[in-house]
Amino acid sequence: MLTLKPLPANTKPSLLSSLTPFRPKTPNPNKTLQTSLKPRNPISKGGVGKTTTTANVGLSLARLGFSVVSIDADVGLRNLDLLLGLENRVNYTLVEVMNGDCRLDQALVRDKRWSNFELLCISKPRSKLPLGFGGKALVWLVESLKSRQEGCPDFILIDCPAGIDAGFITAITSANEAVLVTTPDITSLRDADRVVGLLECDGIRDIKMIVNRVRTDMIKGEDMMSVLDVQEMLGLALLGVIPEDTEVIRSTNRGYPLVLNKPPTLAGLAFEQAAWRLVEQDSMKAVMVEEEPKKRGFFSFFGV
Amino acid sequence: MTTTSSVSTPQFHSFPIQPASLLWASKHCFDLRAAINNDNNNSANPEDEEEEEQCIQDTGKAVVNNSESESGTTKLLDWKKDPISKFQGMITTLPPFVFVMKRGAGSNFVMKSRPSRPGSVADLVRRGQLRSDRRGISTPLKYEDPFNNPLVKVGKSNSTIEICGKVYRLAPVTLTEEQQAIHQRRRSRAYQWKRPTIFLKEGDPIPPDVDPDTVRWIPANHPFATTASDIDEDLAQSNVYQKHGVPFRIKAEHEALQRKLEALQNEQKLNKLVIDTGNAKEFERPFRFNAKANELVEQNPLNSQSGDSKPSKPDRTPNPFNSSSSSEEMQKP
Repeated sequence: MLTLKPLPANTKPSLLSSLTPFRPKTPNPNKTLQTSLKPRNPISKGGVGKTTTTANVGLSLARLGFSVVSIDADVGLRNLDLLLGLENRVNYTLVEVMNGDCRLDQALVRDKRWSNFELLCISKPRSKLPLGFGGKALVWLVESLKSRQEGCPDFILIDCPAGIDAGFITAITSANEAVLVTTPDITSLRDADRVVGLLECDGIRDIKMIVNRVRTDMIKGEDMMSVLDVQEMLGLALLGVIPEDTEVIRSTNRGYPLVLNKPPTLAGLAFEQAAWRLVEQDSMKAVMVEEEPKKRGFFSFFGV
Repeated sequence: MTTTSSVSTPQFHSFPIQPASLLWASKHCFDLRAAINNDNNNSANPEDEEEEEQCIQDTGKAVVNNSESESGTTKLLDWKKDPISKFQGMITTLPPFVFVMKRGAGSNFVMKSRPSRPGSVADLVRRGQLRSDRRGISTPLKYEDPFNNPLVKVGKSNSTIEICGKVYRLAPVTLTEEQQAIHQRRRSRAYQWKRPTIFLKEGDPIPPDVDPDTVRWIPANHPFATTASDIDEDLAQSNVYQKHGVPFRIKAEHEALQRKLEALQNEQKLNKLVIDTGNAKEFERPFRFNAKANELVEQNPLNSQSGDSKPSKPDRTPNPFNSSSSSEEMQKP
């Protein structure tokens, strides 16, 4: 029987969800683009923004000049293609590759906006779960991506399914680094802690977290756990803090990732910063707490 | 045609028509229709009811647009008499008609070409719930220097950050390496999980050197399992629904765990020094069965601790290190 140790007392409610992206172990502190990065996995509870994070971080990395392959490992409920607006271009999937119906490069969907970003889906929706699909298939996939002629991609992002079932276990097989996506609420926190426990049992030690849908106004009113509270409860390094933003829904429905929005949005910029930390293998040293009241000038009374 | 009206009607419901003006509108419409019919000598085109409905709506729109309602009625009265004003009236009423017909034609087209698969992106676009012009074709944001975003500026004192023109206060992250390690240790105790490394199907015994936690059982109705010749479909079906008592895999896992536990206990028997003396003393108490001994315990706990004088336990020794073994010996008979 599992015994849960009581977490540090915290009066504020907190939400959390987890997402883990795969990342290479190679240290890459420079801004030069000569990095060879390995697969990462976004992992989390359902509805916390795993797929959104994968899409945005992936495209941010691509815009920074890295070659990125994003794998939608959410076999039953895949959505990454919709978020990227690539749903009409997915003709072949990994299942067809494994069946020998097509080559791997035919199944990779190249984004027209940034040609160094590629998407790979595991299977088509409504198709039956592939029989032979397991962790070994993903390991094979990652190996063949690394050894292809164009060269090893800098980042392989694997969008994990929610939960800790077989699909999740399969998805984390080939990962060596994880990004946990969570929202600051207690349900997400508990799930995230368990997910991190599983990852650590499986040998993935490099885990960072992104706290999504943070509202500074609610934190100020003590209606939401602060990011630092979340960190205290989970003990994970912070990769990013994404504020709640209505633009996220709009960009999802448009099939146009937030980070590409012009003019940029707050959440988009936060994703961009997170992507940059991923490159630098860095974590946050300080978090945004609240909006500072504007300094009032001498004439502000008169509305100047 | 009825479908046309039903599709296009909701478009007009949004016009804020007050009850009074609606009444006026219907009256107006009636007059208008009479005027048209008069104009065509009742022969040209008998418009169907649908058009009449639309007429009501269109004139309602006209009411909203032209707020001069009173002058409108007087105009209407004049209109029947004067051919010039009749022509003017036709001109003013014609554009809405054209508009209605166009809408009707368009929606009819949509009805016919509705796709067979509802819920697809193409279908959502057709139904107007998604905008086709906005799916992945707008111009993306490109930075001149992506490594230096002008919209994110850290303040001079590193305590503020300016994003999108708003200044936010920064709080330093306080998590230390030690705290991270503490959390890792906590999790490693709380969540114990092993990736399954051995796959067994129903009927396979668990090999003795395998940890039962790492076994994943392939269900009997799994395609891999059924390719094995020794499992027939009937057996697989019956196993799935667990009609015959405890499923095999649970039994096998239980037995393997039992063996593991026994092995652990045997090891413990060999090195008894592991058992701490305080706990061993705790275990002694329940074994004092007879009433005399209990009385003695109540009367003189010190005596009972030593236990030397008790005839019921002649083999007992005061040495606490041997106490656990003595209690085991007591259990045997």
